[in-house]
Parts: sequence; structure tokens; C-alpha cells
Amino acid sequence: MISGQSLASLLLAAIVRAGLYTLTATGLSLIFGVMNVPNFAHGELYMIGAYIAVFSFAGLNLPPLVAILLAAILGFILGAIIEKSFFYPLRQRSKRRKIWIMNTFLVTVGLSLLLKNLIQAIAGTKYRGIDSYWQGGLKVAGISISVDRLVGVAIAAVVVLAFWLFLQKTTIGKAIRATAQDETGAKVVGIDLNNIHTLTFALSAMLASIAGASLLSLNPAYPTMGLMPLFSSWFVVILVGLGNIASIPVGALIISLIETFAAYSVGSGWQRLFSLALIIIILLFKPRGLFGSDVKGVWER
Amino acid sequence: MTKYLEQFKSSKFANPGLILLFILAFVPLFISDQFILQLLISALLFGTLAMAFDFTVGFINVVNFGFAAFWGAGGYTSALLASKLGVSPWIGIFAGLFFSAVLGFLVGLLTLRLHGIFAAVMAWFTGLGLMSIVTNWTSFTRGPLGLMSPMFFDTMDRGPYFYVVLVMAIFSFFALLAIANSRIGLFFKAIGQDEEAAKASGVNPTWYRVLNFTISTAIAGLLGGFYAHYIGILTPDVMKTSQTIEIMALAYVGGRGSIWGPLVAAFFFIPVLTYLQPLMEIRLIIYGLVLIGVMIFYPGGISALYRNLWDRVKA
Repeated sequence: MISGQSLASLLLAAIVRAGLYTLTATGLSLIFGVMNVPNFAHGELYMIGAYIAVFSFAGLNLPPLVAILLAAILGFILGAIIEKSFFYPLRQRSKRRKIWIMNTFLVTVGLSLLLKNLIQAIAGTKYRGIDSYWQGGLKVAGISISVDRLVGVAIAAVVVLAFWLFLQKTTIGKAIRATAQDETGAKVVGIDLNNIHTLTFALSAMLASIAGASLLSLNPAYPTMGLMPLFSSWFVVILVGLGNIASIPVGALIISLIETFAAYSVGSGWQRLFSLALIIIILLFKPRGLFGSDVKGVWER
Repeated sequence: MTKYLEQFKSSKFANPGLILLFILAFVPLFISDQFILQLLISALLFGTLAMAFDFTVGFINVVNFGFAAFWGAGGYTSALLASKLGVSPWIGIFAGLFFSAVLGFLVGLLTLRLHGIFAAVMAWFTGLGLMSIVTNWTSFTRGPLGLMSPMFFDTMDRGPYFYVVLVMAIFSFFALLAIANSRIGLFFKAIGQDEEAAKASGVNPTWYRVLNFTISTAIAGLLGGFYAHYIGILTPDVMKTSQTIEIMALAYVGGRGSIWGPLVAAFFFIPVLTYLQPLMEIRLIIYGLVLIGVMIFYPGGISALYRNLWDRVKA
């Protein structure tokens, strides 16, 4: 049986993981909701965030928060560049929406190859990790919690909350949501779709980049580190329904709880099978995900 | 639509896949270089896998993103039968074919209610699940340590292997082409273009989608068996998503819905990528850029290019 103490530390680990998944899955879901791009290169954006942070924190000795902020800013810029140079021309050239999703799918696959190998050519295959941004730990009721992870979760929570408020309250956020719901309608009321698409991709890259940067002590930077978060964010996004952003934290918590406890009780390696089995069963009975969003703009095909 | 069909039927263009396979049949008579033979075997292997992949994506418009897992499943079935029960590889490969077909049938059923990206993700998740089982069930599959699998032949010569995979490729090519050009192929295309309209015209999408998945994965399973007894050792890496991506890239660049395009693409990409090996990462950076470029500027791929050229020559 699991003792009270290890139960608490497992829960804590699951929450840290959930924070990471929420950040990456939100961006993934947003891109699909607004642009209908199933992004396979999302893990690479996360990886680049980690590299920016490790170079600015361990290389340039910048303070931790500055390093994470830098990762956010550069991630945003990189996202904007990627959108403008790859997806913008593709959108100009493709007329049929049905082909669009499957074509962009391969474009993101190419993008993933491109970014992964570009980083590998520059930085090599070495693992570049840090021990922690912030030293020290807290001891609450016999459970030790490292400050580093606590701050990591706090950053994730603050960013997700701020992002949610941005989508709900600001004019630009409303424009993004409007585009996700009905592209033609958004165009009619005078929203510049090109700008919205670029902004959406940039924001989503920024979220992934922040995730990579703020949990650097947990996952050291290396070129193929993006694969695991990519899998997990797809699990989360499919679980709650593509394009449904509000329910992502719940889905992230479900997936991370399953993974953490399955890894503890049946040994690591098998844990992925549990979340996979769960998602396959859910998809069978609820093809649009657990909380089946009715975001109209999300094309089905 | 009918006009297009008429046009297509009358233009009886020379199928480049056919020409390629015909030339290949004579290659070992002139080339005995083992390295080149190995390259040609890889190209045939991946080209055939890409044809089977195209059979799903180019016709019923579902990306089987867990494709490599079916390939691997066929290989593991044959290798396990051979190493645990001493079954001959020549029988084992058909057991692999059968097992992968059954898996494909089941996954076809699983993805029935799903469309587009949901179906792709479902197939992907099932594939990841299979890979996870093979990786972790170490007492049975030896996991990442690798499962030894007896070879087809006792010789180091690659020639016999070349003919085995060539026969498989020719068989798959004609089988897929025959189905694609039959009424069933037309139903597949109808379902891929508009499932509701297909249903309204009396095509049962359930049956045809499952059938399509079963045929495609059966071929994957057969080639998995070949791979197992050609390489001699299997690790769960054969089921990796990156393998699916490689096959998918060939199918897309070759041109979806043509069957022969992916085969020709394999004979272009696999030698080029092998010869660029010394470039290390740069090689895959170029590869990524080519994929992106093709999708942006010429999403029809090699087969569309060829058809356009052919039309221009004829006109």
C-alpha cells in the first residue's frame, strides 16, 4: 500500500506534471482551434524554450526569471517567423479546406525534423540540464518540497491564468476566439485573419517555450526532448476535445495523475499504456473528447 | 466528374511504377555490389510500405499514423514464431501478414466513427500502445535488447533477399493497383471525398473503411516479416513514430492516390539520403525543408508532376 507520505509526494509530482502539460496542451489546442493545424512540431518549440533558458541561465548567468522571460519572448518571435514563412504561403495557395489539415500535418512534421536537427547541429546531442533555478526546499508535514518545482508550478498557473484572462477580456483575445468559432464571420466584422493566425501561432510557441524553460531542472535540454510532451499534450487535447481550451487543466491533471500513479504501481514504461487505453476508450464512446466542445470553426475532416 | 474519368481512362499513360519494377528485375544480373543491392532492398521495402500507406491516405483519406506499429507487429509475429516455436520464416511471414491484418481490421473498427485528424490520432495512439507493449513485455519480446530472428538464407549475398522483396513489391503493386482501379477503389475514393454523399449513393462506409485498413496493414505485416528475417534482429524501434513519418513522407512526396508515386519517391529519396549520410544533421534539415517545400508548392507530389507533363506531351 502507498503510505501517506509517498502519496503526498506522488500527488505533488503529478501536479508539477499537470502544469507542464497544461502549458503545452493549451498552445496545441489553440493552434488547432484557430488555424486548423495539427501541430506535430509543438514539442520542438518546447525544446527550444529549454535551450534558450539553459544558455541564458547557465551560460550567460542571467537571473532565472529573466531566463524564462527571454525564452518566452524568443519563443514568441520564433513562432511568428515560422507562421509567416511556412503557414502563411501555404494558406495563400490552398483553397480546399479538407486538404489543408492533412497538408499542414506534413508541414509540421518537416518543421519538427528541421528544428530538431538545427538545434542538434548547433548544440550537439549533449544533455544540458541545471540542478535548480532556486535552491532550497520546504518541509510541510514531513514532506519535502523543492522551491524550484513549486515556483515552476506557480509560473505555469500564473501564465495559464493570464492567458485565459487575455482570451476572455481583451479585444485581441476576443478576436482570436471569434476566428476559432467562425472564420468568415470574423472576416466580416473586420478582423484581419492573417494577423490573428500569426499571433496565435506565436502565442502558442511562447507557451510551449515557457513550459520548456520553467521546468528545466526536471527535464534537461536535449534535441529530442520534445517527444514526450508532444505525446502527452496530444493525449490531453484529445481527451478533453480539440479546441476546448477551458477544460485543459482538468485533462492535464487526469493524464498526469494516471501516468504518475501507474508509473509508481506497475513500473515506469507501462504508464503510457494506461493513459492510451483510457483515451482510446473515451474516443470510442465520445468521438469529440470528454467535454466534447462545439467549437464550430474546428473542421472535422 | 464523368468527364474527368473519361479523360483519365483514355490517357492510358505509361505507369512509371511498372517500368521501374520491370527494370529492377534485371538489376542483380548486372550489379553484384552488396552496398547497392542493400540500398535497392531498402528502397523496395520502404517504397512498398509507402504504397500500402497511400492505399489508405490517398483513397479513404485517413492517415494511418500508427502504420509502423503494424509493420513491426508483422515482423515480431514472424520472428517470435521462428525463435520460440521454430516455425520456418517462409510460413512465419504469412502469419505476420495475417496478424497485422487482424490488427488493422480492429483499428479500422476503432477509427470508424472518427474523421480526419481524430482518426489519425486514434491510429497513432493504438500504434503507440502496441509499441509500449512490445517494449515493456521483456520476458516475451526481449524489449529494447532486441529479438534475434533467423535469416531467410544462409548466405551473406544480398541477391536472394532482393528477389524476395521484389516479388513482394510486385505482388503488392498489382494487388493495390487492381483494387484501386476496380469498383471498390471507386468506392474508397467516394468515401474519401465525401462520406455523406457516398452513403447517400449506397456505399457502405463502415465495410469499405475496415476493408481498406485490413488490406493496407496486411501488406505492412508481410513486409515486416521480410524485414525481420532480412535484418536478423528486431527492436521496438521499428514501431517508432519516426518510421511512420518516413513512410508518410514518401507517400506524400510521391503523390497521394497514385499507388506508384510513393514507390518512385522511395527510389529517389532513400539513395539520396544514404549518400548524404556524411552531412549528419544537415541531411535531415534539408529533408525537412524539402517536405515543407513540396507541401507548399506542389502538394500533388511526383505523380501529379508526371501526369501534368504527360498531358502536356500528349497535347
